[in-house]
Amino acid sequence: MSIQVEGTIERKGFGTGTWALVSSSETYELHKAPADLQKAGLKVKLSGQIREDVMTIAMIGPVLEVTSFEIVN
Amino acid sequence: MKKLLLVILFFVGLGWALTTFPGLAVEGSYNSIILDFREDVGAAQIESQIDAIAKTYSSSPRYNSEFSLADHVFIMPGDKKLLDTLRSSDLRKYTEFIEPDYLYRTYAVPNDPEYGKQWNLRSINIEPAWDQTKGKGITVAVIDTGISQVPDLLDTKFVSGYDFVNDRTSVRDDNGHGTHVAGTIAQATNNKFGVAGIAYEANLMPLKVLSGEGGGTVADIAEAIRFAADQKADVINMSLGGGGESQLMKEAIDYAHSKGVVIVAAAGNAGRNAAEYPARYPHVIGVSALDAAGSKTPYSNYGAGIDISAPGGLINGEDKTGGILQNTLNPQTGESVFEAFQGTSMAAPHVSGVVALIKAAGVTNPDEIEEVIKQSALVVQDDNMNHFGAGKLDAAAAVKLAAQGKISFHDFFRWLRDNGYLNPRFWIDGGVISLGPKLAMVLGSYLLAWMLKIYFPFAWTWSLSSGLVMGSTGIFFLRGVYLFDAPQWPFRLMGSSLAEMGSAVQLSGGLNPFFASVLIPMGLVLLLLGHRTWKGFAIGSAIGMAVFLAIAAITSPTLMWLGDGIMARLFLGVNAILCFALARLVVKPEGRIA
Repeated sequence: MSIQVEGTIERKGFGTGTWALVSSSETYELHKAPADLQKAGLKVKLSGQIREDVMTIAMIGPVLEVTSFEIVN
Repeated sequence: MKKLLLVILFFVGLGWALTTFPGLAVEGSYNSIILDFREDVGAAQIESQIDAIAKTYSSSPRYNSEFSLADHVFIMPGDKKLLDTLRSSDLRKYTEFIEPDYLYRTYAVPNDPEYGKQWNLRSINIEPAWDQTKGKGITVAVIDTGISQVPDLLDTKFVSGYDFVNDRTSVRDDNGHGTHVAGTIAQATNNKFGVAGIAYEANLMPLKVLSGEGGGTVADIAEAIRFAADQKADVINMSLGGGGESQLMKEAIDYAHSKGVVIVAAAGNAGRNAAEYPARYPHVIGVSALDAAGSKTPYSNYGAGIDISAPGGLINGEDKTGGILQNTLNPQTGESVFEAFQGTSMAAPHVSGVVALIKAAGVTNPDEIEEVIKQSALVVQDDNMNHFGAGKLDAAAAVKLAAQGKISFHDFFRWLRDNGYLNPRFWIDGGVISLGPKLAMVLGSYLLAWMLKIYFPFAWTWSLSSGLVMGSTGIFFLRGVYLFDAPQWPFRLMGSSLAEMGSAVQLSGGLNPFFASVLIPMGLVLLLLGHRTWKGFAIGSAIGMAVFLAIAAITSPTLMWLGDGIMARLFLGVNAILCFALARLVVKPEGRIA
């Protein structure tokens, strides 16, 4: 499933930590987060795929694999 | 003849039960004997007896302490043989009793220097469990990011596993998560180093399905589950979750279960209602996470799919004392570190470790092991949102129950599960309904209506019956129904009686006094008195409410704003009487309703 979503990058402290995108309605776990997105507090617009076939150690929400992104600030 | 055979069988069974009863066989150890001389025996006589004992048995009794002087209590070294000799000697005449001085001992505390920081192990009551078993001979498969043999895992036994990410037989952890999880299960313990693990004599089977980033595919995970089952693992721990329903994974789980494997999975860390896959599949024990105070952690998922709760830890900024401490590695440098983590990932291995202990204690059937885990859990009252499942994990109680070897299986719940009532779409939690009071309320209201009918005959209509049900209990079994991923409050509301509706949506735990009073029946009577059919509903609800309030006043008088003291009981009691009076008042004047 491909989606577009806007939100803030956060670091979530489960295990050794994971990158998340927190939108107004949902928290997504970023799958293989691009290096440019690995910065807490960054406001971004993302396009990507929801990976229904992936399980993770963080289990914080839907797993989102980023295909393209735009930094808002 | 048949009767005689039955009688003989009964006595044979009774004899067997008595001779194998552990209370008679296991009496602890002792290496000294207590002599308690009778109060009426004089000091001189005691002294001569003591001298005689010293000469005959070359062992001298002494006062236990200065306080035992007045009680004439003596202690002497000795074993079972001496005890039997003394008991059959003349000494018996002078004593009140001669008995073994049993040794009482505290449970062994492991010598791992950081054990004091593992609040989680004490909160699952692990020390008495270690007295029985440490999991020897049991294999726990850890399906995760792999396991590296960090220093505090060097004494832990391993069996061969597989790396499904890189397709090779040697398994290394490049994340730190799997090694941490493995540590909770079987960290080397009593090795004067680091921290302790739960089933530290069990074997670990490392199965790497998640990359260094902490994610992996359903296909790899399903393969790893089958691998573990084929390689004779006893327990599978999956501190992972997410994604959608997968037939491939469901079949792998059913396959492992059919081979006798117990499967444990983390509930997920999204703080939402319903566990993640794979925890929500049937035959998987779903685990929610507790903090050091024993409350559900804010991140832990809850509701449908949660079977039990265990410590998962809660880290507060830089203060990591509330986390779960194990030996793992720093993924950047590969160095060994002692690190506190939090998450339902940390809660699941507590359950897997205890499952290993249960199996080592002799229970082998996976359904029975799940029953032991659930029945021995510390029950949490008023867990309407199913935060805790069957309760909080208790290792000592679980091992004790397993050792007794008599597990009463809730056939009803097996039937529920096997017929699809516990499945990835919806789920029924029997635990939220206290059946006793509910049945008392339904039966009580029917009985009251029947008695009222004797004195003031009226017709028994369906509207009266529905009034009785709505007033007393509501369609109460709906309270335990969960649809995965949907809010549960509509079911709670539909499953509530009139009195409970005022608190069903926000779940305060208490009754709303505006609803749990004569007000609703009064309103219904005023509204429906003129209606031929619906008048019965008003009367029924008044009778049902009277019984509900009376039983609530006795069993659980918790009211919003009024607490659960005498004021609440009085309020409920008075309103119960008012409801009954109202029903009587309406029935009486005409004697008969339509």
